[in-house]
Amino acid sequence: MSKKNKIYWSLGVTEKGTRALLTDENSKFKWLRSQRNRRVLVVLNLIGIVLVSLGSYYPVLKTNFNLNTETEILIYSVTAIFVIFLTLGAYSFLRVAVRGIADAPDELLDERQIQVRDSSFRYAYLAMGYIVLGLLLLMFFGPELQMFQPEGNDGSYLAIATMFAFASAPSLILAWRERDI
Amino acid sequence: MSRNSEEPVFNQIEQIRTAQGLSRQELADLVGVHYQTIGYLERGEYSPSLVLALRISKALNKEVSELFSLTEQKKGKK
Repeated sequence: MSKKNKIYWSLGVTEKGTRALLTDENSKFKWLRSQRNRRVLVVLNLIGIVLVSLGSYYPVLKTNFNLNTETEILIYSVTAIFVIFLTLGAYSFLRVAVRGIADAPDELLDERQIQVRDSSFRYAYLAMGYIVLGLLLLMFFGPELQMFQPEGNDGSYLAIATMFAFASAPSLILAWRERDI
Repeated sequence: MSRNSEEPVFNQIEQIRTAQGLSRQELADLVGVHYQTIGYLERGEYSPSLVLALRISKALNKEVSELFSLTEQKKGKK
């Protein structure tokens, strides 16, 4: 291993960081890697993504529950940011649980790891296809659901949730499917 | 995960490795893979590439045909 910490810009990872995850250097996170705990993390991540996407229903909530005061709007905003950071935290734990295999470059993985990573990307691609299809349907039916109104939220939480889904899908699939990581 | 799910590849890696007093981590370091991959190989859940099979046979000082086969070998046969 070279002393220089190589940065893989396209993957958003560094050589040292990836190697640290691939080995058991950080033994304090070993408990995360049991199949049961990985699956719990998958469920938590999915709940987080769904909750973040529900932020885009604010205009509906505002209309139905008469959220008008600044305090109510502040509570809503703080809650939304809190949920986003919780989801981000769950995603970080998920990456550690799967040793960062989904984001690792070929040269740092062995042939089996490359195979399971590529396989998880294939399923993630299919899953993202359904998510994009769902978003397209929302574009058609959104106005009827009173979403994407200029006042309040314009669908940005849905965009944030989609980014979470896009970034975490391969790791979610890896975490769920693999027996040992 | 076998490369060909219809035709499993059996191996003697675990028996030979333990007979030689090597841990999974030590064998993994010798052949340049993660130690979990050795576990997958030993359980027959992953079939190695030809390159990896040759590296393992070299590390264990055995012929590839002694390590891998298409028919199940009796345990203890080395």
